[in-house]
Amino acid sequence: MKVIKVDPEKCTGCHQCELWCGSEIASIGKELPLAINEEPQPVPRVYVEGKKYAIQCRHCDDAPCVKACPNGTMRKDPETGLIYVHEPTCIACWMCVMVCPFAVINPSPTIKVAIKCDRCRSMGYPICAEICPTQAMTLVDRKDYRKKKFTT
Amino acid sequence: MEFIQKKSTDNAVEHFLAKAADQEIPLAWDRYEGQLPVCGFCEAGLSCRDCLQGPCISHPFRDASKKGVCGKDKNTLAVQSLLRLVIKGTMSSLDLVADLANDIVTGDTKPADKAAADKALKEIQAIFSNKETASMKELPAALSKSWKDAGVYPEGILRDLFKASQKLEGGVAGVEETLLWAFKTALLGNLAQQVQKKLKRSVFGDIAPTKLDVSLGILQKDVPNIVLYGQISAALKQKIAGIAKKAKVNVFGVCTDPLLPPYVFSPVTNYGSQEIPIMTGAVDLIVAGDQFVNPSIMQVAKDWKVTVVPAAGLDKEKDLNAFAKKIVDLAKKSFDNRADVPKDIPADKQTAIMGFSSETLDAAKVAKGLGDGKIKGVVVFSGSSNVKYSQDNEYVAMARVFLQNDILCISEGEASVALAKHGFLNPKMEGIECSKGLMGFLKSLGKNVPAIIDCNATEFILALAKAGKKATKDYPVFACFPEANRSIEVVKAMGMVAMGVTTYFWPSLPVTGSPETMKALSDVSAAKFGAKLHVVTKKLSAPEKAKLFLNEIEATPSMSGKDW
Repeated sequence: MKVIKVDPEKCTGCHQCELWCGSEIASIGKELPLAINEEPQPVPRVYVEGKKYAIQCRHCDDAPCVKACPNGTMRKDPETGLIYVHEPTCIACWMCVMVCPFAVINPSPTIKVAIKCDRCRSMGYPICAEICPTQAMTLVDRKDYRKKKFTT
Repeated sequence: MEFIQKKSTDNAVEHFLAKAADQEIPLAWDRYEGQLPVCGFCEAGLSCRDCLQGPCISHPFRDASKKGVCGKDKNTLAVQSLLRLVIKGTMSSLDLVADLANDIVTGDTKPADKAAADKALKEIQAIFSNKETASMKELPAALSKSWKDAGVYPEGILRDLFKASQKLEGGVAGVEETLLWAFKTALLGNLAQQVQKKLKRSVFGDIAPTKLDVSLGILQKDVPNIVLYGQISAALKQKIAGIAKKAKVNVFGVCTDPLLPPYVFSPVTNYGSQEIPIMTGAVDLIVAGDQFVNPSIMQVAKDWKVTVVPAAGLDKEKDLNAFAKKIVDLAKKSFDNRADVPKDIPADKQTAIMGFSSETLDAAKVAKGLGDGKIKGVVVFSGSSNVKYSQDNEYVAMARVFLQNDILCISEGEASVALAKHGFLNPKMEGIECSKGLMGFLKSLGKNVPAIIDCNATEFILALAKAGKKATKDYPVFACFPEANRSIEVVKAMGMVAMGVTTYFWPSLPVTGSPETMKALSDVSAAKFGAKLHVVTKKLSAPEKAKLFLNEIEATPSMSGKDW
């Protein structure tokens, strides 16, 4: 399964991932000049935090949000392994928001659904990784990533 | 270069793009693609680094970072992004006029009309000492009044430049006030440009419509070729041309004033493709000014063994005659040393007529033509070129639409060069289709009038207002900056709007992050000047952009009172 690997040493905190996620994914207008002025304000699914680190949903193998969801709104795509929100059935209980260990699920202030990254399921490549100017975010196989982490 | 977007509609330039890709020579287009995606905050005008507490952004999607550290919100950030450009552009305009004035004061150039030169020099002194200039007194009374009522009447550098720049340093000015400061600064820049024209006339005489050739095909392989890049002291250009002529050395130009009588500096190409002439192998020496000159030409010049001489270095050349002679000698030497460099000069060459002015373009006829319905409107093309578009495509495609819809087209500066390369300034009009009505009207203006007329836009607009005895805002006259680039073009655009000419400017100015600023550019400008500066964010093709003008022209009340 492919995941977004974030290299904190390359992240400059430029917020471009948030900007592009907000306009290309979260907005209705789909272009920055239109998205900027939209109401309600689009909510990006990636967060640039702390000392410059961009974080989004990790699409956990054993996802706490899927377990916590009372009515099966939080789902795992059997083909890709991606965790996504089936918005029509979300009851805005925010259990997923509370249990997420990475705090990357956002209760939408306006449309009463949980908002989180679905790794751009409908697109060919996650937009944040595509536009990251320093390639701090890259799409890698989860197996490959673990090999890099533990075998050095 | 991997993207499929067509880089240039200039066939001569296209030939070298393939060559550059083959030889892995990076050009402006490659660097542009490397820059993508650009910073969305800066593009929308939502960033600031005026102090060291930043850099700050106003994040459109996060509540936590809506304001900069000092409290500037998205509206302030955006309108100040515009002001910053205008300040730089006005300084560019002032530098041009100061350069020429200095050439006269030092005796490096002798004016043909000393009385007119002295008068213009007094105006320059007035600009630098906050006094009213003669040019301002010559403006139509209604226009002066509108500027005074709006608080934007140019007063000189102390207020219009220094005080305006302090709005960036802090203060509590809102969007409307900051926008008006931007107009005030822009009007100073435009005033400087008008005085520069007067000074140029006093030195070199009246500019007559001049026939010249443009494009890469004008370079010659058996003769040394000097190309002057950017804005260079007129006195130096004159001296280089004089010495070069005697030494049988060609002198051409890129992004430099082509007409300094009796000399002509035929444009080899325009801004976007300024690296390409070097790749022909026929350029032996470049004299590089500052404005409009890409630092990248140094590397490309090195690859082709071309000598580059900076025109305005830190060590100011005291003896211009000696400097000019040195340049011509270096060019000859370079030509000899470069005998082994293969020459690849495309055959592309176009004839153009440039240099119309209020004396040679009858504004009264234009006013009458608008009144009688012989022409539906006037569009003024200005600006340079921008790598974000297929080079020259916006000009060419829009011009084609206008010419077939009875719209008289004027162009100036780099816009003229772009259009000239594609035959629009050629009086033979080969391959250029004009509507019957426009053709007839162009013929009535005189002999050898091309489809598009090269004339200083401000001069033409003021002449039209005077001749037709109406305010500019009452004419269906529009300004079009389809491939704008430099800050001086932003100054020109703001000046057009202040004169009552509704203006369309592409690419979008860095104000798109602030709906309030975009609205002000429309509503405040319309209220104060009777014209708007349109910020179009929708992605449109060039013919669709032209349609915006046609819609506005059709919506303008008919001057004759008759239906179209």
